[in-house]
Amino acid sequence: MLLAVLFTNIEGNILVERFHGVPAEERLHWRSFLVKLGADNLRRAKSEELFVATHKSVYIVYTMLGDVSIFIVGKDEYDELTLSEVMCTIISSVKDVCGRTPTERLFLDKYGKICLCLDEIVWKGMLENTDKTRIRNLTRLKPPTDI
Amino acid sequence: MAQPFVKKDDDHDEEEEYSPFHGIEKGAVLQEARVFHDPQLDARKCSQVITKLLYLLNQGETFTKVEATGVFFAVTKLFQSKDTVLRRMVYLMIKELSPSADEVIIVTSSLMKDMNSKTDMYRANAIRVLCRITDSTLLAQIERYLKQAIVDKNPVVSSAALVSAVHLLQTNPEIVKRWSNEVQEAVQSRAALVQFHALALLHQIRQNDRLAVTKLVTSLTKGSVRSPLAQCLLMRYTSQVIRESNANTQGERPFFDYLESSLRHKAEMVVFEAARAITELSGVTSRELTPAITVLQLFLSSSKPVLRFAAIRTLNKVANTHPLAVTNCNIDMESLISDQNRSIATLAITTLLKTGNESSVDRLMKQITNFMSDIADEFKIVVVEAIRSLCLKFPLKYRSLMNFLSNILREEGGFDYKKAIVDSIVILIRDIPEAKEIGLFHLCEFIEDCEFTYLSAQILHFLGNEGPKTSDPSRYIRYIYNRVILENATVRACAVSTLAKFGAMVDSLKPRIFVLLRRCLFDSDDEVRDRATLYLNTLGSDPSAETDQEVKEFLFGPLDVPLVNLETSLRNYVASEVPFDFVSVPKEIKSQPLAEKKAPGKKPAGLGAAPTAPTSAVDGYEKLLSSIPEFASFGKLFKSSAPVELTEAETEYSVNVVKHIFDSHVVFQYNCTNTITEQLLEMVTVFVDASEAEEFSEVATKPLRSLPYDLPGQTFVAFEKPEGVPAMGKFSNLLKFVVKEVDPATGEAEEEGVEDEYQLEDLEIVAADYMLKVGVSNFKNAWESLDPENERIDEYGLGVKESLTETVKAVIDILGMQPCEVSLLPNDALHLTTEKNQPCSTSSQGTDVVPSNSRSHTCLLSGIFLGNVKVLVRVSFGIDGSKQVAMKLAVRSEDLEISEKIHEIVSEG
Repeated sequence: MLLAVLFTNIEGNILVERFHGVPAEERLHWRSFLVKLGADNLRRAKSEELFVATHKSVYIVYTMLGDVSIFIVGKDEYDELTLSEVMCTIISSVKDVCGRTPTERLFLDKYGKICLCLDEIVWKGMLENTDKTRIRNLTRLKPPTDI
Repeated sequence: MAQPFVKKDDDHDEEEEYSPFHGIEKGAVLQEARVFHDPQLDARKCSQVITKLLYLLNQGETFTKVEATGVFFAVTKLFQSKDTVLRRMVYLMIKELSPSADEVIIVTSSLMKDMNSKTDMYRANAIRVLCRITDSTLLAQIERYLKQAIVDKNPVVSSAALVSAVHLLQTNPEIVKRWSNEVQEAVQSRAALVQFHALALLHQIRQNDRLAVTKLVTSLTKGSVRSPLAQCLLMRYTSQVIRESNANTQGERPFFDYLESSLRHKAEMVVFEAARAITELSGVTSRELTPAITVLQLFLSSSKPVLRFAAIRTLNKVANTHPLAVTNCNIDMESLISDQNRSIATLAITTLLKTGNESSVDRLMKQITNFMSDIADEFKIVVVEAIRSLCLKFPLKYRSLMNFLSNILREEGGFDYKKAIVDSIVILIRDIPEAKEIGLFHLCEFIEDCEFTYLSAQILHFLGNEGPKTSDPSRYIRYIYNRVILENATVRACAVSTLAKFGAMVDSLKPRIFVLLRRCLFDSDDEVRDRATLYLNTLGSDPSAETDQEVKEFLFGPLDVPLVNLETSLRNYVASEVPFDFVSVPKEIKSQPLAEKKAPGKKPAGLGAAPTAPTSAVDGYEKLLSSIPEFASFGKLFKSSAPVELTEAETEYSVNVVKHIFDSHVVFQYNCTNTITEQLLEMVTVFVDASEAEEFSEVATKPLRSLPYDLPGQTFVAFEKPEGVPAMGKFSNLLKFVVKEVDPATGEAEEEGVEDEYQLEDLEIVAADYMLKVGVSNFKNAWESLDPENERIDEYGLGVKESLTETVKAVIDILGMQPCEVSLLPNDALHLTTEKNQPCSTSSQGTDVVPSNSRSHTCLLSGIFLGNVKVLVRVSFGIDGSKQVAMKLAVRSEDLEISEKIHEIVSEG
């Protein structure tokens, strides 16, 4: 299960958050835990460099994409390798939507489309699509070209 | 809430104007949502409003029921628009709003229409939305379409249906299970993601049918799975099948060839999964491990941090059980110490500490010293724990490792980190005698400038126990007395106790200690003065005389009762003329209720024994029994068991029994509940047949006069048994009573009743009933304090067992003793609170917990046997490749006969 996908700005403010199967009362804890993890490790990070951590039985893969930090939390079959696959998909789709590595402004500008992409990539805690072209098509309700 | 943008450069004003969500407000957006009602829909405008709504929701904004309903109804209007981007947004919005059951109906027909649309993308999205908002009635209506969708030629539609089915399986398993054939077909799909989703679903459908899972794995491992993600899933299912089949069969390992061939797969993900699966096989041999370790070694130098992390994490686990197999990777791991990702670096270090040999220790320590300065506390704790294990493995290296620990102790760090270091030094002092003096000296240095009261108290207590036994105890006095001068009241009180211990144990120091203690009489704190007064008065008026052994025992001996029980007894004690009787404090540790165990943050960090326990039940039993004249002469209650159910759940009469053990009697307390509203039971008794319990003879019965509906009551039966003998036996029980009909309208019972009886389950008195679960705070000390002459050791072959965990549990259950932990905490520091009340990685672990993959284990148990005889057990287990388990049992007790009796119990069990 993909427990959470979180986008924050450099200051750690939430831009997008998606939780799946995480009780509402635990979300705040996760949110602050992830933001702290980013603050501790992403300051000097290169864009798109993947970081990985484990916390109890869950895995966390996180990165910096331009001005935006992205965190993905998973457990069971969504281990560090699968999460890195999900992360690569998210990175390529966000870049695809924004046309380049996003600044926070650009990210907010394309907010709606990014939400749609995310909806195609992760649905209720499961990875659904991984190809950015297909995802782009799906967000426009166009059939994928690879069929 | 997030600031919608960041100040990055000078053109900050321009950016602020540009931010699409600047100054966004829920009320205004809800107003804007009125555009959804326009007869001429502006698709672009509507999309923008939906984006704003999504932004609000993602920021944690909540809509009231009325607001959500309003938005939901408005959004459904947008189905009129043919604009595809807007339609896609509408699907997302409906999912985000999660309409309630009574609202769903509004949108169902539109979605059903889309689900049958010729446009594939409408179909896929409608399926996902419908499945999100559906209930079982609606699901039955759309089941036909979903089955078709699973095998749809468009992979997007197929995946949408499969993923929806995975979620629906949780709520409507019966319906989803009917789709097996379609899912099976989808597993063979050429589309990679369809295969992945179908395999996950098929496994979930069949997961409780072991044979079906084996069949699934057998057919798919032959090579029809192309998707790497699906391959990884398959590998996990295969590992599961191997694990389960291993338990039943011996010989060749099934599917190993498949795992090995996957090591050559072109996708890294699959290769890694195969390597991990092989390393996790139970009883894996070195030959099987080699190819897996080789690929993991390659991953260590990968450019992808995730691969490096995955590989080092797996190798770290392998190093626990097969350190030699990992040594080939040492050079690669050393280069990871400088990895920018600190998780990877920490794992590399801790793995190296496990695989390194004695000669490499010094070089490794040099590297770690540089590394420690730039990692966070939680990583440092892991390293400290690894160094502790290394030191225990290579005791000759204690000097350099102890120096390392003392150096890092002086550096900056939080409580948990410092505690981990102190705990490590304490353990090393305890296990490596040569390290004692140098270790104590480091601890003394530390308390000179320690900001944590808890740690100061812990160290002072430890110093009091160990310091007097060193070659020159006087050198520690200065450090201890400095605490009396410089610290807060809690630490001062601890320091006074420590000083007194030195005085009591080292006669030559006693006169000087007395001088220091007299100064403490003028302390500003009550507790400090009280302790000083107590010690001065009890240690003898003549400072030059030897201290009496009994006094030492009274002042510094173990308390012998769990502190929590003492606390409860003191709370219950009503101040009166009668002095508080320490003997009345129950000694048994009651097991914790599950709910309380799970509560976060309640775990006392590193406590030796004594989990929090409700003791009111024990007190209650004692009061109850002593109030019954028939049992008043039985003497002191030794033990009361936990209730044993004698009926199944939800039967007419619910009965459980508590076994009360006295020295020469046993009382069964039957707790009965009548669950039938129309019945009143009278003269309730239990007829006990003790023909299979020859040493017991019935002496008294106390019937229950009346047992109305849902009002529990008790009936008792008492037996006599030979005094002080742990007699065992089996008892069959028959509930006898007079039943009277009750008029439900008036609640009155009829006058005439009918005799009836009800068969209950059998009940046994076993050896564990004669053992009190009493923990000791320091097992090693307790063990050494018992006479070695009373020790009995024997070895047992236990045959083939499933796992060590089970075996350990079974032995603990047979003996009914308290598993001990490696305790680090002083008794008199127990009342102190930790600086941080949060779950931290405690360094002590219950010896009843067997680490996974462990092939040997030692469990420490303590208890008090009938007749108040202290018993300690040290039991070691070993398991070989064929799962044969051997056990070595060493028992020490205050009575040789009891030591032998414990062996008897184990050999019979």
